[in-house]
Amino acid sequence: MSRRPGWLAQHWLAVASPVALLIGWEVASAVGLLREAFFPRPSTVLIHLRRLVTDGTLLAHALPTLSRIGGAFALAAILGVATGLAMGLWRRLREGLDPVFAVIYPIPSVLFLPLVSFLVPRGETALIVTTAATSFFLVAFTTTEGVRQIDPLVVEAARHYGARGRRLFTAVLLPGALPFILTGLRLGLGYALIVVVAVEIVSASRGLGALLWLSWQVLKVEDMYATFLVIAALGAVLSYGLAVLRARLLPWAQDVAER
Amino acid sequence: MKVVVDDVSVAFDSRGHTVVALDRISLRVAAGEFLCVVGPSGSGKSTLLRVVAGLLRQTSGDVRIEAARPGAPLTAMVFQEHALLPWRTVLANVVFGLENRGVSRAEREARARDMLALVGLSRFARHYPHQLSGGMKQRVGIARALANDPEVLLMDEPFAALDAQTRTIMQEELLRIWASLGTTVIYVTHSLEEALLLGDRVVLMTARPGRVSQVFPVDLGRPRGLEIRGSPAYGVLLEKIWSQLRDEVVRAMDADRDP
Amino acid sequence: MALAVPLGLLALWELLARLAVVSPRYFPPPSRVSTALVDGFTEGDLGGETLVTLTRLALAFALAAVPAVPLGLLMGMVRPVREAVEPYIAVLFPVPKIALLPFLMILLGVGEPAFVLTGAISAFFQITISTLAGVQTMDPRLLDVGRNYGAQGARLFTRVILPAALPAIFTGLRLGLGLALVAIVAVEFIAAKSGLGHLVYRHWQTLSTPQMYGAFALVGALGLLLTRGLRALQARMLVWQEDPGRL
Repeated sequence: MSRRPGWLAQHWLAVASPVALLIGWEVASAVGLLREAFFPRPSTVLIHLRRLVTDGTLLAHALPTLSRIGGAFALAAILGVATGLAMGLWRRLREGLDPVFAVIYPIPSVLFLPLVSFLVPRGETALIVTTAATSFFLVAFTTTEGVRQIDPLVVEAARHYGARGRRLFTAVLLPGALPFILTGLRLGLGYALIVVVAVEIVSASRGLGALLWLSWQVLKVEDMYATFLVIAALGAVLSYGLAVLRARLLPWAQDVAER
Repeated sequence: MKVVVDDVSVAFDSRGHTVVALDRISLRVAAGEFLCVVGPSGSGKSTLLRVVAGLLRQTSGDVRIEAARPGAPLTAMVFQEHALLPWRTVLANVVFGLENRGVSRAEREARARDMLALVGLSRFARHYPHQLSGGMKQRVGIARALANDPEVLLMDEPFAALDAQTRTIMQEELLRIWASLGTTVIYVTHSLEEALLLGDRVVLMTARPGRVSQVFPVDLGRPRGLEIRGSPAYGVLLEKIWSQLRDEVVRAMDADRDP
Repeated sequence: MALAVPLGLLALWELLARLAVVSPRYFPPPSRVSTALVDGFTEGDLGGETLVTLTRLALAFALAAVPAVPLGLLMGMVRPVREAVEPYIAVLFPVPKIALLPFLMILLGVGEPAFVLTGAISAFFQITISTLAGVQTMDPRLLDVGRNYGAQGARLFTRVILPAALPAIFTGLRLGLGLALVAIVAVEFIAAKSGLGHLVYRHWQTLSTPQMYGAFALVGALGLLLTRGLRALQARMLVWQEDPGRL
């Protein structure tokens, strides 16, 4: 989406469609076509959102979620990139770990909560480690792909011109894998959000997921919608913010396969 | 003798049986000579080049390169698919070999700029490879090789991936550059026309297993330009060598036909 | 040889648990887990629970795929449709689908419809996006060839566009199935009273760890079988495609 003049003229439908939906929803809900108990008016939701912000509830729940995502992401990123690089460079390792990863990957992260709670004291650490699980696999996997997709001819040429061992790693393998690594990190961050919400629903008393679930249990529907909005906004920022960052950092990687 | 290839053979295992890529090749290249190696697909010409470059270990035999200048690398290769590092600018690519050898920044940048000027790409020093055309990328590849000031310049079908018009221009450029530098060159190509245009001698190789079929001197005078292609001497030489090459090409195609 | 590492790890675990180096309460040896698994199928209702999860998965997948593929195709071919729908996809795609569960439970009650629908929505976005990508990234020259050789309208669609988009559609279906499974098992863990995900939760609460790990392993095996199976199917059906992709 570029902000050229005439962008609006070209993409008016993309803007009009959601706007029309919101207006239609507001009206239908006010008039009674939609049950307000299930579909509160968008304006009401916004009022509740403002209240959540002003009375500090939102912050009290958003901060724990953010810190858990941050911790989980850091864990997944560091371990994931390291593992991914190792797997990319040593075939034996990759072949050994592949089946292990393949079995573990399809399991939803939240299911690891019991396992993690056996290993690590209950509380923030357990939540963070669990949240990091799927992200770790994602980052490791994309990093490995990143190393493997480097044009072998480029590696050969680099070797021919004197790049060996460590130098080959820093000057060739790492930059070559970087587009994939950054994509993996972006996906991993997005997944961390997905998992943290589920984990908070199960096992936390504070956090956006917890807030959502709490609101549901006491049937405060407007608060549910408001929380959902915040979660969605967070998801969008994490997903697209990193994409923009990546484009800035890597001007030379125009079109990298994302999956 | 600048380069002596002494009874070199390369054999490897492929799915159970042994494949002989090169069968006791012996060659001598004089200092400052432009030697062209021509042969059908599978004749092992690229393999030979890789052995001389030290990228591939021969199964038997020896390669000796006279090191007239201490500190200068023995070989520098120009690859068919340019093999530039996509994440480095043009200038950074040209200095790559010098960087790996620990040449000071000032010196290597000066040298790189000289080479870029020689290939006519001074204006593109800060560009990335993906912003350049195929011909330009190949010129960067040549600049990179020359910047290393090798004893022997190796070129592996460098213009094969270019369109005919660009190729012609590049051949002209190469002749000009070589005339001013006088480096020893071993040039692999499948095009006989190109070999006669560029070379002092043409080595004809057989279909697999690759052997030296015959070596032809090219007495077409120096300095040489594109107009040589119209001369009768060129035509006669082309005819003579082609009839031999043709046999080898057909032999190679027949080998493909057999299961 | 590919099994050497996992088998080795299992053997190590068995040893450590038996020697009580790790607590066998929390980390029962694999031998006990497999016994629990077998017992679960023969004496217990593990088979039934697995079937429950699979049924939810099948329903969710069908609910997702049936509208998603045509929508993706439509979006790829008709620009206004894409413009109108894209904002919703862009906004909702990064949202944890599990966050939709409470809303669905309010609308549909705490039961199957809400569970299945959560899984379906998870798959829906992926399938739509992949299908759209399939149409958008097809070689435009194929369209020229098709038209040049007399294919118009419906024929152009069935003979050129659809086959060209098929690999991406298939990949989308495969990924969507994986996502649906993850969503459904997660939902079962959190809110359901049946299914493999719920079993993991129940056994966790009662600390029947062999059964818990058994259910765990079943989920992993299920996911693996489905994705690998679909990938093999994809490779066989779309013989012309070079590489169906790794996950």
